[in-house]
Amino acid sequence: MKHFIRYILFFGVLNSAFSQTDSITVLEEVLVIPTKLKEFSTGQTLTSLQDSLLLQNKPSLISALNFNTPIYFKENGLGMVASPSFRGTNASQTAVLWNGININSRFNGQTDFNTINTGSYDAINIRGGGGSVIYGTGAIGGTVHLSNNIEFEKQFKNRIYLSYGSFNTYDARYQLTAAEKNWSTKISFSRNQSDNDFEYIDTDRKNLNGDFYNNSLNAVFGYQFHKNNTLKFYSEVFESERHFSLIRPSENRTKYEDVSLKNLLEWEVSGEKITSIARVAYLKEEYKYFPNIETESFTFGEANTVIGKYDFSYQFSKKIKLNAILSHEYTDGEGSSIPQNERNISSGALLLKHLVNEKWAYEIAARKELTNDYESPSLFSFGTGYSFTDFYKLKLNVSKNFRIPTYNDLYWATGGNPDLAAEEAMQYELGNEIQFSNFKMTLTGYYNDIQQMINWVPGNNGYWTPRNIDEVATYGAEFLLNYKKQFGRHLLAVNGTYAYTVSENKITEKQLIYVPYHKATGSIYYAFQDLFIETQALYNGEVFTRSDNNPRYNLDAYWLWNAGLGYHISKNFTLGGKVRNLLNSDYQNVEDRRMPGTNYTIYLTLNF
Amino acid sequence: MKLTKFLMGAFIGSILLSACSDDDDFTGEIDEPLGTYDNGFFVLNEGSQTAGTVTYVSQDLQTSEQAIYQFVNEGDDLGNYVQSIFFNDDLAYIISNGSNLITVVNRYTFELVGKVDSGLNIPYYGVVYNGKAYVTNLADFSTGDDDYLAVIDLETLQVEETVIIGNYADTLIEEDGLIYIENSNYSIDNGGISIFNPTTNTVENTIETYAESEEVTSTLNSIEIEDDFIYALSADRLEKFNLNTLTLESTILLSYEGGSAANLDIEDDQIYFTVGTSVYRMGINAEEAPEEAVLTYNSNSAYGVMYGFEVEDNRIYIADGGDFGSDSFVEVYDLQGNLLNNITVGVGPNGFYFND
Repeated sequence: MKHFIRYILFFGVLNSAFSQTDSITVLEEVLVIPTKLKEFSTGQTLTSLQDSLLLQNKPSLISALNFNTPIYFKENGLGMVASPSFRGTNASQTAVLWNGININSRFNGQTDFNTINTGSYDAINIRGGGGSVIYGTGAIGGTVHLSNNIEFEKQFKNRIYLSYGSFNTYDARYQLTAAEKNWSTKISFSRNQSDNDFEYIDTDRKNLNGDFYNNSLNAVFGYQFHKNNTLKFYSEVFESERHFSLIRPSENRTKYEDVSLKNLLEWEVSGEKITSIARVAYLKEEYKYFPNIETESFTFGEANTVIGKYDFSYQFSKKIKLNAILSHEYTDGEGSSIPQNERNISSGALLLKHLVNEKWAYEIAARKELTNDYESPSLFSFGTGYSFTDFYKLKLNVSKNFRIPTYNDLYWATGGNPDLAAEEAMQYELGNEIQFSNFKMTLTGYYNDIQQMINWVPGNNGYWTPRNIDEVATYGAEFLLNYKKQFGRHLLAVNGTYAYTVSENKITEKQLIYVPYHKATGSIYYAFQDLFIETQALYNGEVFTRSDNNPRYNLDAYWLWNAGLGYHISKNFTLGGKVRNLLNSDYQNVEDRRMPGTNYTIYLTLNF
Repeated sequence: MKLTKFLMGAFIGSILLSACSDDDDFTGEIDEPLGTYDNGFFVLNEGSQTAGTVTYVSQDLQTSEQAIYQFVNEGDDLGNYVQSIFFNDDLAYIISNGSNLITVVNRYTFELVGKVDSGLNIPYYGVVYNGKAYVTNLADFSTGDDDYLAVIDLETLQVEETVIIGNYADTLIEEDGLIYIENSNYSIDNGGISIFNPTTNTVENTIETYAESEEVTSTLNSIEIEDDFIYALSADRLEKFNLNTLTLESTILLSYEGGSAANLDIEDDQIYFTVGTSVYRMGINAEEAPEEAVLTYNSNSAYGVMYGFEVEDNRIYIADGGDFGSDSFVEVYDLQGNLLNNITVGVGPNGFYFND
């Protein structure tokens, strides 16, 4: 039965204004939400996917999020380069945080959602809307938080998850958790690989050159000197090789190799009124692209980043908290087309949270960055939430956010533009939250005005060059719903999202390409005793593929439907299977990139 | 004009017209179109994220049809980044550099005849000589060392041999049994012309152009052969080489505020080229550059300005690349620079091919 209870948590769509005031109490197990995210999200809405939900999905980050959030994804073929459009923004306007550290590529400002293996995380939290004051560059459309949790509680656990599916796809995940009162460790290893040679629906052709693998090793250590004095270390090595799918058999076969290394050391000391957290992080990203695998020729990029961060908070009273964050980031990067460059960015942020009373809370925050490499604006945010009744709450958030120019933008050998400024976005958001004991619904409207957007355009000398020229307004509504009910030995959980998104180029007055007006997701989970069934559905509306919105070239809307069945054979042993794309939809979310029809997975989970 | 003259003219005209139509009736098959796409021209649209297309425009500029290959051959396409077309008798060979593909169609009906789908590596331009096609291939973008000429048997559509050129390989021209290959490539400072002998399959000679011989930021843009001379246009000059001696005969400096010279085309003893959005013209024996533009067109596209250009049968054809993310347009002018029509085509139009 524990599984059921855990499962509920994973579907929790939370408003997390301030932990004390909010409704997280309905959940019987601790949700893994980083403290900072929990405390400083006033007026915003958080969706939390916990690790057991992650086990219900394929291991790539795109699979975990596509069926559970309103974020639209462009995937260049199954397993290939994948980028998000969160609230109508572009791929570099969603920030991905790994244990609080911004890991978007220093080269292109994006995270490829197929180069994150979710097998190692305890939770993924998604927050819509701006967050640059705390999370830095790219936090415009929203932020995705990959979190590892450290618990100082005596335990020794192993978990093995093995799955095998169509197209010779393997997904193996192992996790060891060992802890005592004063130390804790968690080591995870995940491997995902696939021949990815599915047949195109209604043709005699197959997906060629699409095979891939990735390995992810993640280790977390914590040591508690004293209840208020803790040292934590997080580390992750990710390595992958993907052959990029061909559209036509005669094309050159290419491949792409990624290696990334993430390390974070965190020392937290707290007293009655103060909390001091010192962090040092080291990130490395490296890629190699082979434009023709018949030859050894490749292009590459490599960046090493060291971040020092100091986070100090002072609690004036139980109701007022002041928080200062100072950070410095040093990056050294180069690539085949980018001369070696070093970059230093310093920043300071000040945050204030005030719980006025049981019904009303607000926060104010500001940030300023100092760097010689580009113009950076002053940022701020203001958020507030007011509970009119015990079931209705109104939330408001206004913030100014940014996306800094990347290494490619600034230093690309032919066309890089050293005179760029950061992109700036003003965002307004109003949220309504209705909650009864086992039912929760939020409806959020937002408006995001993005200025000085960087776009690569043709320059005078025949090279494309980035300039701060685009202006985009994105606005729309997000609707989130979840419901759960336990009656006797039955359990029912329902989850749904819907997003209406307008993303308009203000100069041409056209909708941006690859941003659907409509996206909806839904899932139902039903369990009776040791048996459970689940189903997930996804609707992606029609998208434009041409900048002039010529409807002749639109990609059709599509429905995807998955269903799964599982059985807890014993307390420690679960066996299950899943069918994806039950309707055998022949769909594309990037033009000419065919996706697989109905496919199957079987899995088993062992806990010991 | 006096009324009598007018009437006289009308009278004679009507006689001539009726005579012509009688004649037509008599040998009815001569002017019969050879297919839907006879008597017009093609605009090649290179495409961007998706396959390229061909637009057909009728000779009178009044009708056009988009993506004719995809229309005639349902379910198939031409591949990504279609670069150029070359012809042999009734067949058109459409080169896709993004998909290593040459699609062979009947030039009048656009029905698929066959495909060259192996042995190519970023194919660019082709010519036919003596029953074989010679197609330049860029191979690895980062170097000119591996650029090659693919020799294709037109009966089997197989690449029967590949010959390394030893330099970047771009457009090519066949003249009197020799193939002249332009050694330049977009966005690389380079120049020179390789002379390839198809009888021996070797590069026999090279011509050094300005862009290659000097330490300058200039790229050889285009070449043309006319009356025993080869003309080479670089960013700021037009050079004329003697084809027999391979020596430089003359140079005309081209200095304009609007940018670099591009798109050399010689037609009816007139040399045409473009600078920015303008078209210039001079006589084939001119010694100095023209000052006045024949015409200037409107474009919002910085990189796609004059993305395709051709002068043919007393008309000037201009293709605008647009934003490369949506359908763009071509414009047709008479030789005085009067606009005859503006026609919507596909994504990234890069060339004109005449079918009459």
